[in-house]
Amino acid sequence: MTFIRQFAAETAEAEAGLFGALGIDLRLLILQIIAFLILVFLLGKFVYPWLMKQVDERQANIEAAAEAASLAQKSAAESQEQTAHLLAKARKEAAEIVRTAKLESAEIMSSSEKKAKKSAERIVADAHEQIDKDIALAKKELHNHTIDLIALATEKVTSGALNGKIDNERIAKALKESQ
Amino acid sequence: MARRVSRRVLAEHVADVIVSGGDLSLTTQQLAAHLVVTRRTKELDMIMRDVSFILSDKGIVSGSVLSAHELTESTKQAIQEYVADVSKAKSVTLSYQLDPAVIGGYKVSLPGLQIDRTISHQLTQLKTRFKKV
Repeated sequence: MTFIRQFAAETAEAEAGLFGALGIDLRLLILQIIAFLILVFLLGKFVYPWLMKQVDERQANIEAAAEAASLAQKSAAESQEQTAHLLAKARKEAAEIVRTAKLESAEIMSSSEKKAKKSAERIVADAHEQIDKDIALAKKELHNHTIDLIALATEKVTSGALNGKIDNERIAKALKESQ
Repeated sequence: MARRVSRRVLAEHVADVIVSGGDLSLTTQQLAAHLVVTRRTKELDMIMRDVSFILSDKGIVSGSVLSAHELTESTKQAIQEYVADVSKAKSVTLSYQLDPAVIGGYKVSLPGLQIDRTISHQLTQLKTRFKKV
């Protein structure tokens, strides 16, 4: 530093001509230029690379983020489209299920009606058959009761009409016919 | 302890006594005593039935006649002749019983044979024939 002061002081005394007229100190100018060059060198060696590296990294991050955002946007659009497609498909399937359910319900109702009708017809037929059987049974019982009544009446009439004399005559006649 | 004798042998012995005209009273007493000692009093009816059959084989028939009214002697005679003819028996002995429930006619019961000519039996046959099952 002492050398630089000394050089500056000597240079200032020597250059008093053109530059002095312009107010420019040549030594100082040269020193400043050297200092500037040293500064540039130092900046170029140590600061700028790091700075540029940071800037590049930041730039890369920003680009990556932008790309990610773009991808996300694209993915969201695709998801939305897929969701809409799935919704449409689900609506279609639901409508199909409802239609099928209605058809099956109608078939079940129709089948139930047929079964009920058939069951009713069978019950009526069974009832008719049972009635016919009951009528036949009643007729048979009436017939048998009538026979019993006729036999009873015959017994009464015969008992009243038959006396010992007639009975003996009948027996003798029957024995004669047997022989 | 009395020796067990078969029913058939007892019946044959009694039938032999009846046919030969032996002491029937003694035979019946002996039979009764034997049945009591051997505790076979329940077989008496079967033994007497066997006696009837054996006698019938030997041509001696005894039976019963059932009627609703009292039979005249001629009717009884006619029945006896009829029974002798049907059973081919040498001797026929009949007992006569009354039962108004038979209404009329007669029924002869012999060992192994029954002849039912009663009105009640004929009515029953008619009922059976005409009734529906």
